[in-house]
Amino acid sequence: MTNLLEVRNLSKQFKSSGGPFRKPRAMYAVNDVSFDLPKGRVIGVVGESGCGKSTLARLILRLIEPSTGSLRFDGDDLRAKSPAAMRRLRADMQMVFQDPYSAIDPRYTITRALIEPFVVQGRYTNGTADQEVSELLTMVGLSPGLASSFPHQISGGQKQRVGIARALALRPRLLVLDEPTASLDVSVQAQIISLLEKLHDDLGLTYLFISHDLSLVRYFCDEILVMYLGRVVEALPETDATVRHPYTATLMDSTFAPDPRQRRIIAPLEGEVPSPFDQPPGCAFADRCPRATAICRSETPVLSTAFGHAVACHNPL
Amino acid sequence: MLEVRDLEVAFGQIAPLCGVSFALEKGETLGIVGESGSGKSLTAMSVMGLLPLSGGRITAGSIIFDGQELTKLPEAAYRKLRGGRLGLITQNPMTSLDPLQKIGPQVDAVARLHLGITGQQARARTIEILGTLRIPEPALICDRYPHQMSGGMKQRIVIAGALAADPDLLVADEPTTALDVTVQAQIIRLLDDLVKERALSLVLITHDMSVVAQTCDRVVVMYAGRAIEQGPVEAIFAEPQHPYTQALIGCIPKGLSEDEHLVGIPGTVPTVMNYPKGCPFHPRCIRAEDICTKTSPSLLPRVDGAVACHFPGAAP
Repeated sequence: MTNLLEVRNLSKQFKSSGGPFRKPRAMYAVNDVSFDLPKGRVIGVVGESGCGKSTLARLILRLIEPSTGSLRFDGDDLRAKSPAAMRRLRADMQMVFQDPYSAIDPRYTITRALIEPFVVQGRYTNGTADQEVSELLTMVGLSPGLASSFPHQISGGQKQRVGIARALALRPRLLVLDEPTASLDVSVQAQIISLLEKLHDDLGLTYLFISHDLSLVRYFCDEILVMYLGRVVEALPETDATVRHPYTATLMDSTFAPDPRQRRIIAPLEGEVPSPFDQPPGCAFADRCPRATAICRSETPVLSTAFGHAVACHNPL
Repeated sequence: MLEVRDLEVAFGQIAPLCGVSFALEKGETLGIVGESGSGKSLTAMSVMGLLPLSGGRITAGSIIFDGQELTKLPEAAYRKLRGGRLGLITQNPMTSLDPLQKIGPQVDAVARLHLGITGQQARARTIEILGTLRIPEPALICDRYPHQMSGGMKQRIVIAGALAADPDLLVADEPTTALDVTVQAQIIRLLDDLVKERALSLVLITHDMSVVAQTCDRVVVMYAGRAIEQGPVEAIFAEPQHPYTQALIGCIPKGLSEDEHLVGIPGTVPTVMNYPKGCPFHPRCIRAEDICTKTSPSLLPRVDGAVACHFPGAAP
C-alpha cells in the first residue's frame, strides 16, 4: 500500500508576545509528530482538549505553517510548494470542520456555498453548476430541492452534510475531518458517521479523523494515534490492539460503556493536563501517571516500537 | 422525595413541555436523557422554580418535593428552598461562578444565607466540603479567583456551592458536557460517591446514554417535551419498549465487533415551533401507522416503568 500522506517530525511552536508585565513565552502545540497515512485508510487522532489535534489537522493542509518537519502528499513535498501551487493541491485534500454553523457563510445559499470551491480553483463553468450541485447534494443524502436555501433554514445535521458536500466538490483524495460530529445530537451523529462510511467505500477516500471521543474513533477508524500535550504517545495499528501507554489506558477507562450491566468502579485519573507553557522536564504525563519512576521526570520518552507498536513510554504496560 | 406529575410548561402560546411525569426516592439517582430541545433543562428549571426568569410558566401538573407542592409556592418560600434543600449544578462551570469574587466567599455565602451561621463557621464548612470533593489544599483555593482554575476544578467548586447548605435533592444539568473525558469520569465518580455517602437524591440531566448507564438507578427518556419512556436503568437498556429509546441506544458505538453498524435516526429532532401532531416521534419512527399521526399516546404503565407508544414492544 502506498502512502498518501507522510508526516515527519512535524512541530508547531506558538509564541505569545510579552507585555508590560509579562515575558514572551513559547509553547509547542504540536511536537515532533510523525505518521504515515496509506491510501484508503482511516486514521483517528484522539486526545483531550488542548492536545494539539486540531492544530495538527490545520498543519497538514498548511492552513497554518509548520515550524519544522516535513509533509509529503502523494510523494510531493508540501512545504516546498508556493502558495499558488498549494492552493491547486488543496483540491486533492479537503477539510470538514467541527462547527457547521460557522463553517458556511450565512449569506450564501447552499448552491453558492457548494460552487465556491470551483470558483476558487478557477474551474467554474456556468452551465454545469446546477447539475454539479444537485449531484453533490444527492451524494450526501440531501434533497436537491435544498439548493436555494440559506444555512439558517436547515438543521445542524443538514448543515454538516453541506459541509461534507463542499469538501467533496473537487473530488479530493484526502479528507481531514476535524470533530465533524462534536456539535451534533447523537441520533444525527450516527447518521453522519454512516454517511462518511458509505462515502469512504464508494469514493475510495482516505480519512484523517480527529475526535475526542474514543469509542467513536474505535468504531470508525482503522488505526488510532493518541495525543497528549502535542505529542503522539501511542500509535495503535489496530483498534483492538493491546494498549501499552498508561494514558491511553486511562482514556479507555474513562470512556463509559453504554450498558448498565458493565458498570464498573473506575479509578479516575487525578490531576489535570499541565500548561503547555511550562511543561515539566521528562514525560508530560509523569505527574498523573501511576507507573511513573525517576527517569520519567528527567527524560522525555520517544516513540519506540520495541513493544510491538509505537509507544512513547519508559514503563509501558 | 420528588414527584413530578403531568407537568406542562408554556412560554406564551408555545408549549415546549407537555406531560412530564416521574418520581424519585431518597438516595436514588434519576437520569433524564434526551437530545437537544427535548425539554430536559426546562424540566430542571421547573423543579428549581426558575421558569419565571426566562418568561415561562407552569400551566398544568404538579411538582411535589418531600410532601410540599412547589408549583404554587410563593417566590419568598422558594428562595429559602433553592440553594438550601434544593441544590442546582449547572452545565457550564465557566459561567456559573462570579469571576470577580474569590472562591471562598462564593461558597460561604450559600451556607451563611441558608444555615444562618457566622462567616468563620461558614469558611470552616467550605474548607471541609472542598476537601471532601478532593480539591487539593482547600484553604488556599478559597483565596483564588475562578479564572485561576481549570474547568474540572471550577465544576467542583460549583458542586461545593450546591452542597454548602446540605441539600436533600441535587439537580445536575449536564454537569460534565463542557469537560474532557478524563475529567468527566472524575466528576461523575464524585457525584456517585456523594449520593451514596449523604443519601442525596440526584436528578442527572444528560444527553449521554453512557453516563446514564453508568450512574443512574432510574431513567426518564424525553422527546419533544414529553417523557416517552421510563423505568429502572437495567430494563431501559436491556428491553427498551419505545422505538425512540431503541434507536437512541443503537446510535452509540458499543465496541469493536465488525458487525456493528451505526445507522442513526432518519430526520431531525423537531423544534418547539414544529412539534408534529399525534406522537411527536412518528415522522422518524419505523413503526408509525395511521393512529400515530393523529392521537398522542399516553404514558401507560408497564412492568416497573411506563411507556408512551401505540405499538410498544421489543425491537424487531
